[in-house]
Amino acid sequence: MKDLFLVVDATSRGNFEKLTRHRVPGAIPFGGKYRLIDFTLSNCKNSGINNVAIFPYGNYRSLSDHIGSGDRWDLSRRHDGVFILPPKNLSLTVENEISFQRMYEHIEYFYRSNQEYVIITSANMVWNINYYDFLEEHLANESDLTEVLSDVRKVLKTYIISKKKLIEYIENYDQIAFRNLSDVFDYAPGIKKHTIIINTFSYNINSSSELYEANMQILLPWVRKQIFLDSRPIYSKETMSAPSRYGDFATVKNSIIASGAVIEGEVTNSIIGRKVKIQYGAKVTDSIIMNQSIIESDSVVEYAIFDKETRVLKGSIVTGEEDNIYVSEKKQIVTTHQKLAILQVASECYPYIKTGGLADVVGSLAEEYSDMGKKSQVILPLYPHIKEKYDLLLELKVSNSIFYGNKNYKINLYSIVNTNTVYYFVESYDFFERDKVYGYEDDGDRFAFFSLAVVSFLDAIDEYPDIIHLHDWHVGLLPLILKNRQRPIKTLMTIHNIEYQGVYDIDILTKLQIENPVQYTRLSKINFIEIGLNHATKISTVSETYKDELRYEYYSKNLVEIINKRFRDFYGILNGLSEDVNPKNDLEIAMKYNLVNVFSAKKINKLDMQKKLNIIRGEQYFVIGMVTRIVEQKGFDIILPALHQMLENPLVEFVILGTGDEVYLEQLKQLKSRFSDRVSLNLEYDATKPQYIYAGADSFLMPSRYEPCGIGQMIALKYGTIPIVRQTGGLNDTIDNYDTSSKRGNGFKFFNYDTRDLLFQLNNAFNIYINSPDDWRQLIINAMNSRFSLADSAKKYLDLYQNI
Amino acid sequence: MKKMIAMILVGGRGTRLGDITKTIAKPAVSFGAKYRLIDFTLSNISNSNISTIGIVTQYEPFELMNYIGSGASWDLDYVDGGVRFLTPYSQSEDVLWQKGTAHAIKQYFRFIRDHSPDYALILSGDHIYKMDYNLMLKTHIEKNADFTIAATKVPFKEASRFGILEVDSEGNLKSFQEKPEHPKTNLASMGIYIFSIKVLEDLFFNGDQVDLIDFGKDIIPHCLNKKRDIAVHVFEDYWRDVGTIKSLYEANMDLLEDNHFLGLNSSKDLPIFSKSLNLSPHMILDSGSVKSSVIADGSIIAGTVIHSSIAYKTSIGIDSIIEDCVVLPNVTIGKNVYLKKVIVNQDLVIPDNYYLKAEEVTLITDKNLLEVGEIK
Repeated sequence: MKDLFLVVDATSRGNFEKLTRHRVPGAIPFGGKYRLIDFTLSNCKNSGINNVAIFPYGNYRSLSDHIGSGDRWDLSRRHDGVFILPPKNLSLTVENEISFQRMYEHIEYFYRSNQEYVIITSANMVWNINYYDFLEEHLANESDLTEVLSDVRKVLKTYIISKKKLIEYIENYDQIAFRNLSDVFDYAPGIKKHTIIINTFSYNINSSSELYEANMQILLPWVRKQIFLDSRPIYSKETMSAPSRYGDFATVKNSIIASGAVIEGEVTNSIIGRKVKIQYGAKVTDSIIMNQSIIESDSVVEYAIFDKETRVLKGSIVTGEEDNIYVSEKKQIVTTHQKLAILQVASECYPYIKTGGLADVVGSLAEEYSDMGKKSQVILPLYPHIKEKYDLLLELKVSNSIFYGNKNYKINLYSIVNTNTVYYFVESYDFFERDKVYGYEDDGDRFAFFSLAVVSFLDAIDEYPDIIHLHDWHVGLLPLILKNRQRPIKTLMTIHNIEYQGVYDIDILTKLQIENPVQYTRLSKINFIEIGLNHATKISTVSETYKDELRYEYYSKNLVEIINKRFRDFYGILNGLSEDVNPKNDLEIAMKYNLVNVFSAKKINKLDMQKKLNIIRGEQYFVIGMVTRIVEQKGFDIILPALHQMLENPLVEFVILGTGDEVYLEQLKQLKSRFSDRVSLNLEYDATKPQYIYAGADSFLMPSRYEPCGIGQMIALKYGTIPIVRQTGGLNDTIDNYDTSSKRGNGFKFFNYDTRDLLFQLNNAFNIYINSPDDWRQLIINAMNSRFSLADSAKKYLDLYQNI
Repeated sequence: MKKMIAMILVGGRGTRLGDITKTIAKPAVSFGAKYRLIDFTLSNISNSNISTIGIVTQYEPFELMNYIGSGASWDLDYVDGGVRFLTPYSQSEDVLWQKGTAHAIKQYFRFIRDHSPDYALILSGDHIYKMDYNLMLKTHIEKNADFTIAATKVPFKEASRFGILEVDSEGNLKSFQEKPEHPKTNLASMGIYIFSIKVLEDLFFNGDQVDLIDFGKDIIPHCLNKKRDIAVHVFEDYWRDVGTIKSLYEANMDLLEDNHFLGLNSSKDLPIFSKSLNLSPHMILDSGSVKSSVIADGSIIAGTVIHSSIAYKTSIGIDSIIEDCVVLPNVTIGKNVYLKKVIVNQDLVIPDNYYLKAEEVTLITDKNLLEVGEIK
């Protein structure tokens, strides 16, 4: 029984929201007293495997703390044992599955292991199986690579292969076309493959909603029977806690309660972790409460996952929904009815002034906050454009004068109340009475002045803010001004795109009367965003993946140090899409549609678009669409060569709407001249009417080199147009690669920023489109069911505000 | 730093606990749903940072040894010292059977000597309490005593179960009565002693040729006679010697009554450790209901539990009502069972429709099951 060792793939981060802020997914608590990794390690012990390597992606402290020497699972051995093999190369971003390249970093481990076969499996598996059964079947079928699928044929990321074969792949990771074993299984020619379909419960947990679902499943008797076997117990780190104690008025139904819990209130359909306290009058339903949380009296909790040590204050109501579970962060204090006055400070805000996506985000967050009962306030410069358009609504609140440099300036504060949100506008003849919003030599002075004016008006606005939310570099100096003027207000600074930083002369600080300016910079210039990042209470960016990417110099460039320094205060919150964006009431497209008629409507919209754009008409064409700024960031260096190859296939068409850099426009024109009847260029960017492309194309191409959040892919999903993206930033957080066996996923993504990988996914999409129409329909359904709403982002920001 | 060795005497038969101790040593008896009696003593030792422990066993040591293992669960698996089991062995022709508490210590005096401690702490393994032995050592050192006895106040009506101490104005022992019919005071010996090693050595090997068998019956009277300095360390918190069915039941009920019983449910200082058995958390099914009770891991409750202590791996069937009971580990209770004021012995299977409403605390076992109760 010495011929099998185990590689545990903990490289994927999944989508666990706050639950993975302090740990890798394997260390997430499960089932009241376990951690996810316990199942895999216990299976090892019960199978008699004592050589295990775990490959984590990031913060594995809590994992190694939990595993310790591994003696709990008999893995503390003189030979072999349990090894945690961290990433050596930090510039590799997170992937969904362990790559050969990642294994190559620890190739020595593979050389040294003296077992003949290896099982590669996910760290987030909940199951109770004997790995040797897999090996037996692998050998009996004389297979080269065996994949294990769940009883309902879901992918479990579990493979059996001989060590010799695996080492071949690892050693040649840079020579072969496959990044990982699932690539090999799906595409490698000439090897003997076998699939094992297991007949007991299994769950590969990759998101907080799956974590919720899997927890709820162990409330089912048949699942418990297959997971908790007397003959094969699940071992966990030993802890000390008393037996659970029930009070005189406790009511508990259909729930799992771990030791040390004290239940005085009501618990229904829930999983209660160790040492949780549910006080008298508190009601917990359909929820997962992790260790040491306290639910104070008279509060109500529904559809929630509370991370460890969450505290729900007396009388609070915390309710998620069945398809949108409320998730708390470790040690979070949760409450409802909290009055919160928010002030958002930005250079633009929809509907008053908009030059880009920032305005949409600020404007819609403001409205959402009001809808959620918070005091929502926004403050902007008063541009002439706003003055003209909203002349009748603008109400003068107060006038003031401030010193900037050695000059005294008059400023006025105007306001507009729209439903419950109050918008303030700062008027200054000297700085904002200009045609454009940006693009002046003194932009640094203009926005430094704006920040100063905002601080001077803090007492004049309706409600003194509990939190000031700052957007982008323009208001980066504001936290410093607040500190300088002894205004201890909490601030959140959001980076929308780190490429725009605001670098200006250092005497701006002198003009703001900030003493000893050289302490804020090492250079003769000041960097607005750097000062903001340094001085804001918390910082955030617009997607979880982008947040992680910014730790690497490749993405954050000159700011890599400050980002890493502030990483524990750094959050990623994905922007959402307005509910208004929807093909079901879009008047700009040939046929409106929703999930009911999407399949017929997409055809009609496609034919309409082909006609409008004057390319060959036909349902059979696979149309790749793009709506984008045509710049390097969006991936044009790999797009153009890929399209030249892709379009050699006579069934492919390409349409693009947008404008940008001359060099790419020129290359696009060459592409057009080569395939003139199947390529359409629309290079006058008309942002108001791109919908016919979203509605008419089959797939939406967005292989950005980097993408903080991205909105095009979200619109495409709404329109049932399948995104093909690079795995970066917000693209990674919104798109899941389609898996033909489990039928899950809403698009296609690839990892390496190179033409070959892009082409691979383009062909993959094309093949599914042509050869398995059922899969393509499933993709459309999955895409249209994806949900990235602004309300969700607003909730997350509110959570964060309350957490600061 | 002066070094103290702990010697735990777990040799007693515990016959007054009836069939509960038929197959297991008394310190291995389950208490408070998830503990064993020995957990309290071992946790106290661990929390007092004592690193060398001899456990002197005699009857049915197997389960206890198995339970304690290396002592890792109590963080007592030290490289030097740690937990050592001292079992009867034969020397030349004789089997060294222990005749009494002091005799047992004398037998293993070589073990003590090997670790060359300055003090020996003598304990029994079947009391429920939480104590920092360093405080007692402090009393011992401050009073410059030959040995120190820990004592606590018990109700007068129970005093005749214990060794009763009389203390002079300086807190030193004046007189001692072992289980007196008419106790002079209610200050009872807890059976915990700290000896300076030299004193113990003198008593065993250099003293008068009296056979000193038992600490209570022989050593204390002998030392009083010889005018040795015997200090008394008064302990004022919760302490129970659960020597009988009734006291075992009552201590379990104490735990139910007091939400803060020995601070078990708070994660503050001095935790009580116990060995984890790798059980899944317990589950209350839809038909189940639990009030004013404690429940340990691995149990599945489909019936109603009121004011009871339910140890691990218990299953309670639908429509059953368990009231004011102490259910020991691994018990299966069928459907429509009614139990009141009962201790259910471990591993027992109670058939469907069983009924027992006891007036006095009753232990049910596989032997008396159908004598004390009935199937309705």
